[in-house]
Amino acid sequence: MKAHIYLSALATSVILAACSPSISDSPADADSVPKTLTIYSSRHYDSDRLLYDAYEEKTGVNVQVRESGADQLLETMKAEGDNSPADLIIAADAGALWRFQDAGLTQAISNDAINAKVPAKMRQADGHWFGVAKRIRLVAYDPARFEEADVDNWVKLAAEDKRGEICVRSSSNIYNLSLMAEMIDRLGAEQAGEWAQAIVANMARNPQGGDTDQVRAVAAGECGIAIVNHYYWARLATSAAAADRNVANATKLVIPSFPDANGAHTNITGIAVTASADDAAMATAFIEFLLTDEGQALLTTETKEFPILATAPLPNGAELVPVSDVSDTPLEVFGINQAEAQRLYDLAGWN
Amino acid sequence: MERLNNLAGRLAPYAAAVFLVVPVAAALWFGLTAGGGETWDHVLQNRLVPYTFTTLAVLALTALFILGIAVPAAWLVSAYDFPGRGIFDWALILPLAMPGYVMAYAWADLAGVAGPVQSSFRDLTGLSARDYWFPDIFTPTGLAFILASTLFPYVYITARAAFTNQSLATLEAARSLGASGARLFLSVALPSARPAIVAGLALALMEAAADFGAADFLGIQTLGVGIVRAWSSFGEPATAARLAVVLVSIAFLFFFITSLSRGRATNQQTANRWLTPTRTRLTGQSGWVASLFCGGILLVAFFLPITRLVWLLLETGAGTAPIVPPLLSSIILGLSGATLAIVCALAIIVGAKHANATSSFLRLSVAAGYAAPGAVLGLGGLFILSATGQSLSGVTAIFLLIGIYASRFTSAGLEPMRAAFERAPISLDYAARSLGASNIKRFTRVDLPLILPGVLAGGLILCVEILKELPATLMLRPFGWDTLAVRAHAYASDERLAEATLPSLLITLAGLAPVLLLSWRLSKTGHTIE
Repeated sequence: MKAHIYLSALATSVILAACSPSISDSPADADSVPKTLTIYSSRHYDSDRLLYDAYEEKTGVNVQVRESGADQLLETMKAEGDNSPADLIIAADAGALWRFQDAGLTQAISNDAINAKVPAKMRQADGHWFGVAKRIRLVAYDPARFEEADVDNWVKLAAEDKRGEICVRSSSNIYNLSLMAEMIDRLGAEQAGEWAQAIVANMARNPQGGDTDQVRAVAAGECGIAIVNHYYWARLATSAAAADRNVANATKLVIPSFPDANGAHTNITGIAVTASADDAAMATAFIEFLLTDEGQALLTTETKEFPILATAPLPNGAELVPVSDVSDTPLEVFGINQAEAQRLYDLAGWN
Repeated sequence: MERLNNLAGRLAPYAAAVFLVVPVAAALWFGLTAGGGETWDHVLQNRLVPYTFTTLAVLALTALFILGIAVPAAWLVSAYDFPGRGIFDWALILPLAMPGYVMAYAWADLAGVAGPVQSSFRDLTGLSARDYWFPDIFTPTGLAFILASTLFPYVYITARAAFTNQSLATLEAARSLGASGARLFLSVALPSARPAIVAGLALALMEAAADFGAADFLGIQTLGVGIVRAWSSFGEPATAARLAVVLVSIAFLFFFITSLSRGRATNQQTANRWLTPTRTRLTGQSGWVASLFCGGILLVAFFLPITRLVWLLLETGAGTAPIVPPLLSSIILGLSGATLAIVCALAIIVGAKHANATSSFLRLSVAAGYAAPGAVLGLGGLFILSATGQSLSGVTAIFLLIGIYASRFTSAGLEPMRAAFERAPISLDYAARSLGASNIKRFTRVDLPLILPGVLAGGLILCVEILKELPATLMLRPFGWDTLAVRAHAYASDERLAEATLPSLLITLAGLAPVLLLSWRLSKTGHTIE
């Protein structure tokens, strides 16, 4: 009896391994088999599946998705070289997309329909990647401790009256790297480094946890100021759990400007056509779908990012976030200054 | 034909050993020979010392916590009788079912500044978070607490075995001389159990050194985290490989301590196993203190975190992501990896017996894989891929991943099988030989049926270990092969703990099976690990 269990377990494993879907990627006959679009995505939202399903239904194209961290996708694509099955890369943060571009893994796309919909500020100048949703890094503060005017500029966070008040996550996180990259672009490395040092001096605690944890810490009274991306707050504000909504209600949002200019530190969830994509037209067709009202809604409803299209409906909760113009720093700067940003953070002692 | 058979039988264990040692050897060789990457200077100057120091500090604190939890608990359940002792005796092994990262998710949420514990405290007292001090889980100490909570059973098991099997005469003699309670423990029981405790502790610390998921989630910069980051964030496998050399050295140190103490521990054991030790009955207050201590451990290391995860799951729902594909990937990879590991283990056990081989090379090869953290093996796998010009997609990567699992876990499956095998009398083997049975025939007709229960037990342990494995799977899994562990990690690092709860709980549930089996086997064999 035991022998039977053992043997059938063995047999099952062999059969399952032999039948598993991803092994059978025999070359498709282009005419009879539906086309396959392969997407490498650093997002793992359940709603993205609905997005891909909707596209499959609409076009008959078979969408294959590999979800992983942006870093891992980058390394994977480097290893795969020209044989990479990827047609499109979706990544949150322009700095991440720039790294794909820098590694020669993307191709320039010149498409008037796309360019007409994505503002020039929100895409790479040569068409290596395009923003499809916006994310704003801002401040959530405790209204019992601060007024909006105390925290409405990034430089004000470095002032001495904020000592022991700031909660922010680790510097290795890409959101902080991109923020620092913009500071370097505006203030120069030296002043940006001083800013980082002043922020470290003002921290309420060693950097820990994610953005959501910083907002929670403000609500709990551990700190007065949290530096976070807007959608984490919006998710708390619309959460099914009452405790989460209370956290959001206990804090207020302000979009800080830079010392030399107004406008929010704005990042993107973006998409790029890979250098190894065989059928660029098929890939751009998917991008165009993302830039329809339907595509925008599917992209942002769960994430609470801002749609890139002005006409698209706002996701529930995003309307609670203040509006601001986009700052005028080109997004590429986030990538170009990334290494310098990490170096300055390391020197400032920002863990 | 017969000669060919014999040759195959003789070579099989060595072939298996070489197969198992290749991934870790690849990582180390690369680390020692390849030039450092662009960031190596940065890592060397700014990171290597902090990484190493943090790792050692976490290990030292973990050791302290483990000893503080496991040794008193083991002494209480073996030397005393108190309310609930019968349950604590086996239940204290349960925390072993939770991987470190799941424990970290649960406790980070429970003990965080916004978690239920601190929130209720603030609600009750009206204080703000700045007005009081609370232990911070996002620190090396917090990580050590997490790791100790899941790994202390290693020491609990070995210490309990040592206490239970200690020469009763010694204990009785000490008692008759008036030693009791603390004195009996400190001057008689503890010294003689020390080798067993050290062996268990070294094993636990080897596992702690291999941790990636918990440290990554809590943001503690250990070597394991550094290796994965050097590869993924800096894109420099060479730098990662150099860090791997340091980490493997640390892990091996613990492995050798284990082997050394194990040798001594066996010398200490006496043949008095069939005697039931007399347990002193703790009455009144001291009985309840003992119950409270053991119950507190179970609560902190098992029931509280599990309850919190279940609570989160019920409160926010599991999300709409289908759980079946990652479950299926986990099962397929688990079964295939376990099968391969069993084949390797059988080749080594059976082959070593028939070939009468000197087994130190074999033992070392198997141990090398076991002592090497998953992040290092994943790195070795990547080097093998790139050396053979293969990509991370497709069949090759799956087979590679399965091979890596076998390399990492064959050792874990080896012990139960060896135990079953060694119980079989050698005369059976001689009988088969005298009947002219070939090596292969002897294996299928004599050896295999004898060791089947051991194989099944080993297979179960292997499946679950693979299910829990995170770093190597994270680095090597091909297209569409996300396991439950990978899913849980992705959601948790994405600040969506609620979605991470279902895969986490499934992993823990699966982990309970081998733990209960182990518990049952231990109770049958009088608490000794065979």
